[in-house]
Amino acid sequence: MTEKLLETAIKTAQTAGATEVISRFIQGPEYQIRFSNSNIDISKKWENSFLEVFVAIGQKTTEVDIQNPSIEKIKENVSKAVNFVKLMPESELYAGMEKEIHSFKKIEGLYDKQSENFYTKAPEMVNLVIDSSLEVGAKRVAGVLYFGNSKVEQMTSYGNTGSYDASYYRLTVRSFVDFESSGQDVVVGRNLSNIEKKFVAAGQHAGKLANMAVGGKQGKAGKYDLIMSPIVGGNILGQITDGANPLMMMIGMSPIGDHFGEQIGPEHLTITDNPHIGEGLGSSPFDVEGTPTTETPIIQNGVLVGLIHNTTSGVMMKAKSTGNSQLVDFFGGSKLLAPMPTNMKYANGNQTLDEIIADCKKPTIYITSNWYTRFTNMLEGEFSTIPRDGMFLIEDGEIKKPVRKLRLTDNLLRMCKNISAIGNDQKQIYWWEVLTPTFVSTIKVNDCNITAATQ
Amino acid sequence: MKDGMDIADFAVDFGIKKGANYIEARFVNSCDEGYTTRNGSIIGAGEKNTNGIAIRVLTDGGIGFCSTAKLEKTNIENVVETAIKMAKASKRKEPIIFSEEKIVDTKWKTTVKQQFADVSDEEKIKFILDLDKNLVSQDFGESLITRTLMLNMTRDKKYIINSEGSKVESDKSLVAFYTFNTAKGPIGTEQRFYGAAGSMGWEWFEEQKIIEKIIQDNEALVKTANFAKEMYLGKTDVVVSGEVSGIIAHENTGHPSEGDRILGREGAQAGESFYIDLLEKQKLGEIKVGSEAVTLIDDPTLPGSAGYYLYDDENVKARPRYLIKEGMINEVLLNREFAARFETKSNAAARAIGYDREPLIRMANTYFAAGDYELEELIEDVKQGIYMKSFTEWNIDDRRFQSKYVGLEVYLIENGKLTDKMVKRPVLELTTFGLFGSVDAVSKDMEFPYGTCGKSDPSQGAPCWMGGAQVRMRDIRLGGKK
Repeated sequence: MTEKLLETAIKTAQTAGATEVISRFIQGPEYQIRFSNSNIDISKKWENSFLEVFVAIGQKTTEVDIQNPSIEKIKENVSKAVNFVKLMPESELYAGMEKEIHSFKKIEGLYDKQSENFYTKAPEMVNLVIDSSLEVGAKRVAGVLYFGNSKVEQMTSYGNTGSYDASYYRLTVRSFVDFESSGQDVVVGRNLSNIEKKFVAAGQHAGKLANMAVGGKQGKAGKYDLIMSPIVGGNILGQITDGANPLMMMIGMSPIGDHFGEQIGPEHLTITDNPHIGEGLGSSPFDVEGTPTTETPIIQNGVLVGLIHNTTSGVMMKAKSTGNSQLVDFFGGSKLLAPMPTNMKYANGNQTLDEIIADCKKPTIYITSNWYTRFTNMLEGEFSTIPRDGMFLIEDGEIKKPVRKLRLTDNLLRMCKNISAIGNDQKQIYWWEVLTPTFVSTIKVNDCNITAATQ
Repeated sequence: MKDGMDIADFAVDFGIKKGANYIEARFVNSCDEGYTTRNGSIIGAGEKNTNGIAIRVLTDGGIGFCSTAKLEKTNIENVVETAIKMAKASKRKEPIIFSEEKIVDTKWKTTVKQQFADVSDEEKIKFILDLDKNLVSQDFGESLITRTLMLNMTRDKKYIINSEGSKVESDKSLVAFYTFNTAKGPIGTEQRFYGAAGSMGWEWFEEQKIIEKIIQDNEALVKTANFAKEMYLGKTDVVVSGEVSGIIAHENTGHPSEGDRILGREGAQAGESFYIDLLEKQKLGEIKVGSEAVTLIDDPTLPGSAGYYLYDDENVKARPRYLIKEGMINEVLLNREFAARFETKSNAAARAIGYDREPLIRMANTYFAAGDYELEELIEDVKQGIYMKSFTEWNIDDRRFQSKYVGLEVYLIENGKLTDKMVKRPVLELTTFGLFGSVDAVSKDMEFPYGTCGKSDPSQGAPCWMGGAQVRMRDIRLGGKK
């Protein structure tokens, strides 16, 4: 039946005059359990079933989503979309799509059958997380658990067809000892084997951080070395790697547009867009154009060496598609066909967190979580972000005390150049503040600017 | 719409039969249309239509929520049963209860003179392309090196029915225009994300003079890139426009006033609120957070506003909420769950952005209430200070106490006169107490810029106005890196 839906979309579009079409059907349930104050607040299920249809006539394009698609709905909506395209001027953001026919290599680990019945034990798992955190001293535990599975089936007017099944889970747990002493951890992946162990460890870690934060006082503004947990590094340095995208460069949202080929970080900094990690939430065997996904070096030994591309950005920048074409929500209406990252994977370092802390000769701030990163100027990389949860002052190679109420106010490019250590504790981060799945370790940056309220 | 309403009625009847203590069905028919240009070329345009239903159930003290676009009765039965099972599986130690509210059966809609659907696609395309040409043709146009213009129009028709017998049918149109532009000056660039929106039809552009506002905003951006200079002012007086006072009202007062944050429900998402510390020792109405000049209101009933509604997504009648009255915390934002926790009635703050999202406590239109001053009077009494007309970067900690606002279009005030000297990126890095405690005068005039309020997981971007009067703050030590 799905094949018929995909074909109907393509044939309807072609009959109406479309020159290139992508038809992509995504279905499967997703679940969420939200909890706070050590209680489940709400349990949700979303029944996803929608068809994405991208239509082009030459360089004129649009996209339409059709929920719960039927043959009749597809014919009506796709015909309307093609008629709309005929009115459009040519798009600067479209120069064709993948024409070559490909077969796709399966990525092991995208789907775990255990996900199908996980909803029956999920509330129990949430309570396990809560209990594990309370046992180490947390007084209140909040968080969110997402999980679900989906089948993605796709066809293009050039005959590229493919499908894959995927499942996922992601947990954020935030524990509190008092109103201002908190700790957070995240666990993200696809394979639910040994999940209890991972969830218990996350609950304990959040609880321990919250305990360590008790008694924190207002910190002092000034210059510090900075240790960023994977959660923090994923967010802050993610602003740089998300900028390795021609779309972001075109609209002035990338700080690295003028730095291609330059040494923007230390030699031990290597980051790759890697869509082939089984556990990676951004993994897939092909992109929406039917181009096989590839591993794309972004920063190699500190040098900015690569950008992600789809066919269009490849044509624009005289490069080949890297298989990063996605349909992207962009301020309402239809989706754009544009390059987007899959999973950002940092080369692991060789130091433990304890070793990085022990090596700190200068006063250092260790930030375990952050939020609300905003820019004064995205081209320049001028930004600030707010540490939240446990934050600690390190002196003479030891954590001396918890501190509070500070802000990191700095420049992305300066920070990237000043990376001085990368840990060996790599984990996948995906949460509210990190929306590109990122495999990243603890990272130390020298001479960062920390500010505080003036009154 | 009729079929969706029938299926919502069916869902509630079925839920009652299946033993739900409370069930609510929210059917939403939504049309979302967008046009985006980059440097004068269309990069995306199209329309998304959705019909879907959300079922929310309160049973055995737990809440279950299930949404679907499959509107056949057999599927709706499954969805309702799933929501009931999920609610029961919560096994909460403290059962959730909802406040008792008046049963209503009513309709509301925005006043629209020209529906978006009655404007041709060609006209909409021409409009956005012409606006870009208009910007480029201005004297300052060449300095706008990247221009991203975004036009978004939505029309949401909703029908919400619950097992208590309340039924509300609504029809809201919202038009929003955003620009994200970069201006190049002699030594660098300045960037600005500007938004304006109203719950009106296509007539909004003309009636609200939107094109003129966008041109003025971009002219100011270019002027800033060309003429703003870093100045070190030490302790100084600061007068802020309604745009800046609005973001302050939203971030430093609106968010910490959300009842769910105060009692921890957003703990792992948008965070909690510093109000909880205060409410442990004192009651609403007894807590002073600012000077007597500070009155802050959140009002969903402002006609034509981005956050407009007359009944919230729990069918409770909307009214203005006086969050801070003459410097005292007066009221917090509540839905039915948190009204019960605060042992009061809901003040209709429940909003859901899309059929597949749960209703949450949200702001609508948060603003600094007007005072008695003309802008000139605010300025004439300032020996040395700045007038911050717009802002760029901003953020605040998740308890909503430590805020930062970086000025964009900012002028120096000297000896009671507004000069044409522009100050580059001054930083207000202040606590909520420090900020509201320093306010000594507020203007008569008001403005209502637009913003999308972010909250929750999955994030629900809620359209809001955030604005109000111009505000003078005394003796502010500017922050930042230096």
